[in-house]
Amino acid sequence: MSEVVKILLAEDNPADVWLIREALMRQSLACEIEHYTSAEDAIRALERCGAEAAPDLILVDYNLPTGDGGQVLAAASSNPHLARVPKAVLSSYIRPQEMDHILQLGAARFISKPANLREFLGVVGSTVVELLKRPSA
Amino acid sequence: MMTATKEPERVLTAQLEPAKLLLVDDDRDALFALQAILEPLHQELLLAESGKDALRLCLDHNIAVILLDVRMPEMDGFETAELIRSRKRSRHTPILFLTAYRSDEQLFRGYDLGAVDFLFKPIVPEILQSKVSVFVELSRSEQILRRQAEEIARAEAQFRAVLEAAPDAMVITSEAGQIELANSRADALFGHARAELVHRDIRSLIPEWTPGLPESGPPSLEHRLTAVREDGSSLPVQITRNPFTTREGRFITTAIRDATDQVQAEARIQQINRELERRVAERTAALTYSNEALRQFAWAASHDLQEPIRTVMSYSQWLAESSVKTLSQPETQMLDTIQQQAARLVALLAALQQYILVAESGENHWTSVDCRAAVDAANSNLHGMIQESSATVECGRLPVVTGTEVMLVQLFQNLISNGIKYRSAAPPRIQISAEAAGDLWIFSVRDNGRGIDAKYHDYVFGVFKRLDRGQTAGTGMGLAICKAVVERLGGRIWIEPSAGPGALFRFSLPRCREGVSAEV
Repeated sequence: MSEVVKILLAEDNPADVWLIREALMRQSLACEIEHYTSAEDAIRALERCGAEAAPDLILVDYNLPTGDGGQVLAAASSNPHLARVPKAVLSSYIRPQEMDHILQLGAARFISKPANLREFLGVVGSTVVELLKRPSA
Repeated sequence: MMTATKEPERVLTAQLEPAKLLLVDDDRDALFALQAILEPLHQELLLAESGKDALRLCLDHNIAVILLDVRMPEMDGFETAELIRSRKRSRHTPILFLTAYRSDEQLFRGYDLGAVDFLFKPIVPEILQSKVSVFVELSRSEQILRRQAEEIARAEAQFRAVLEAAPDAMVITSEAGQIELANSRADALFGHARAELVHRDIRSLIPEWTPGLPESGPPSLEHRLTAVREDGSSLPVQITRNPFTTREGRFITTAIRDATDQVQAEARIQQINRELERRVAERTAALTYSNEALRQFAWAASHDLQEPIRTVMSYSQWLAESSVKTLSQPETQMLDTIQQQAARLVALLAALQQYILVAESGENHWTSVDCRAAVDAANSNLHGMIQESSATVECGRLPVVTGTEVMLVQLFQNLISNGIKYRSAAPPRIQISAEAAGDLWIFSVRDNGRGIDAKYHDYVFGVFKRLDRGQTAGTGMGLAICKAVVERLGGRIWIEPSAGPGALFRFSLPRCREGVSAEV
């Protein structure tokens, strides 16, 4: 995995952004992160996104200012250029009905943010690596 | 007219006075002879030896018949008869003349003076008795008629008094609605003089009035109509109709009550009811709002608070790892304390989240859950704790109930872990069983631990309530979650008092479909 991986991240908590960057670094992933801190900004970017600018992975925190992760996912899934891009939702907790909802909206994974540092870095890093390896469906 | 008094005849005839027969003859012997003949009739005999005496008696008595001798000194029979006739009281009293002569002239004069008959001397007793009997009978009939008339007059007076005393306007009409009689309350209510009311159509007062009703029977139920006063203004009235039949036809008594006050009272009650409903709706809306606000607050407390504390926790771990060699011993301890407390807060918030999820659990997600499988899942989740404490969990036959698997696993898991946490010196032993009681299942979860003082039997089910703060590592939410699960599923949970050593938890759940898992 030598080339630079492009990841679109919607996450409002700077502490988590830092932890996610750390997790990716520990996986020795060279990545470029396009970061949005509100659902509105992320949705706008996803709607405009063309084929040439499409990211390799979309990571969305479920709880965002100005909207929720489901709306961001829906924007990504309805853009034909992004239909095949793997998407994952992160949250410290999600309700069962919300889980069903995000899976319907095209999320490949739900990543529960563990409170434990090691677990957090481990699960985020391994999930990202696994999703990037998947042959685009 | 309309008073149909039906008093039995015997009341009218019971105490009839004897008829008074006046015998007039100047010949005392003849008088005694008449007396002797008429004695067997058992009537009152008045004797007069002269016309004058006869006249005096006629003034004082109602005489049924007068036997009058024609030939008398001073005032003869005809002159006496003339004077008798001239008096009002005796104008129609029948007179029988007694005479010895059959003279046409006398007869004409006698009949002229109103004689009803002549009797010729010598008197034949049977004929006299027979003729007098007719008049006695006539007098009795007259007496009866007079009494009947008095009776009728009395009844009518009584009827009118009742009518007048009635608190309602009372109107008696023919079946066609023509007013025959009205009381003074009717005048007052409608503003008409009584004379104007009689013979009017009642519908000019109450346009919607109908004779209604079958032949007779109890009065019609009260009926709300609108009446019109003389000045054209209208008023609500309550009417009750009662039909009755006399020889003159069918009549209807209509009692009319001014219902203005009642209508106003009803309107007030309705207004009060509307006001009450409005307030209840407001209160309900306020409660719904405050419930929703509380729910959102609880969710935020459990979820949004978890984000920052999770960051505190992971960052302090990071710091501990990266500075493990540069920190002093007390600084390392402080960092440990930060991590422990942050971890505890994370656990508390997670428990609170579970509790809220139970309360939010919608019935449309409920299915049949095998309690035995739920106990197995709970044991599996508690595997480490059970191993470590050498605990045994014994489970009898358990039923299938309605709910979610997550809720029932939480329920059993919290009860089992509670029994292990509050253990005594002996290895923990938890026994779970269930039995049917009516339309409920009663579950028992017994442990051999320290037991729970009866004064804490309610307390322990509260949110964040714990006993023995130092010795056990609970969140204080376990039994609160159990209570929330059981109550959400329509049951009740309690601790059985004085159930020996250890604690005996019992809870009920509604029985649904039949089905008991196999004993293992």
